[in-house]
Amino acid sequence: MILRDLPALRNSPTLRDRLAAEYALGTLRGGARRRFETWLRDDPALRDVVAGWQERLAALAELDLPLMPPARVWAAIERRLDPAAVPPRTPWWQFWHSDAARPWGVLAVGACAAWLVLALSKTMPDMAPQSRQIAALSDAQSHTALVVTADTARGRLDVRVAEEVHVPTDRTLQLWAITRTGKPRSLGILPGNRSTDLALDARAIDPDVALLAISLEPKSGSPDPTGPTGPVLYKGSWANL
Amino acid sequence: MIPHNDQDDQLYRLLAAVAMQDRQAFRTLYDVASPQLFGFALRVLHREDLAEEAVRDAFVSIWHAAPGYQMHLAPPLTWMVTIVRNKALHIRRRTHADADTGDGRLDIEAADGLVDPSSGPADPAQLSRDARALARCMETLASRQRQAIGMAYLHGLSHDEVAARLDLPVGTVKTWIRRGLVRLRDCLAQREAP
Repeated sequence: MILRDLPALRNSPTLRDRLAAEYALGTLRGGARRRFETWLRDDPALRDVVAGWQERLAALAELDLPLMPPARVWAAIERRLDPAAVPPRTPWWQFWHSDAARPWGVLAVGACAAWLVLALSKTMPDMAPQSRQIAALSDAQSHTALVVTADTARGRLDVRVAEEVHVPTDRTLQLWAITRTGKPRSLGILPGNRSTDLALDARAIDPDVALLAISLEPKSGSPDPTGPTGPVLYKGSWANL
Repeated sequence: MIPHNDQDDQLYRLLAAVAMQDRQAFRTLYDVASPQLFGFALRVLHREDLAEEAVRDAFVSIWHAAPGYQMHLAPPLTWMVTIVRNKALHIRRRTHADADTGDGRLDIEAADGLVDPSSGPADPAQLSRDARALARCMETLASRQRQAIGMAYLHGLSHDEVAARLDLPVGTVKTWIRRGLVRLRDCLAQREAP
């Protein structure tokens, strides 16, 4: 089909309908799509044909079961609409600057960490508490998904991943230490995305580390050495034992 | 185009108020429309956190774009679904950037699931007249036609990508989709005729 030919388009209802349908469905791509969009600007009748297809296809959305989104979605929308009421935009890892640092969130993470300390101290009676730091990494709902323990005596960083954590086969979890100034440092990727034992990098437990974070990255890790490229799934801060 | 049912009429009045920066109306619009839009975003993205992101981004856009909304071009729900779909497909491309080889099979089934009338809402009475008609017309398509249309609409796949997933020549896929859409349109037009 000769899409460059404007008169042909004007005179062929079949072609108009076909292109409008492909445009609404999304299968009209690249140069053909851009050309079609320029025609749309000057052709109200063609816009109507597109609108008809959009309406037919949008009814597909109604075939799904309706489900009320969690309350946090509306809260997030309100924050976006009232930027004045929200502190200046800060990188995600400086969460203590933002309203994400709700006291209860911090308390929940603290409580998790405390619980884990108890649990771990029961299962590992030989542990030398003075040489350990522990962090419970949680998702946005404060569900703990990973526990990281730094053992300076052994020079190991022990990472335990909860069984419920599922990672797409072509992705990998990457562990980061974020400094108080907001600079991420990679501590490594988790092989097989399961519990593992990494060499302890002194930069992981430096006093200027504000929190640890896990991001979802391509298989070989973040292509950007200076920080995560994928979504940050879990975060938490060190507690001294 | 005039509002052709009560829901459209309610959504239209809410959108008009939102265009005047009425936050109360915006909240009501969200309460009324977000469950359907969230259900749809979930179908596209298969992950609640991503679907939440799509609905959030879409409502922020709806707030800003409401003054430019034109009833004669699209009924309110169509307009909002189109916005949610754009946001969801954008997120899908970001998160599926190179994940498209592993879950191809899953995608095919998920795409088919939407347009399989047996997997729709339990209560057809809850569907609008348009959606009921669409569900019935979808039944008249061959299942592979439904799959191909679903994959393009829900997952933003191109003709080439649909062809690769279904392991068919791209020409065949183009023809199927085209014939399926024409059949849908004719079926819907028949039902609308008095």
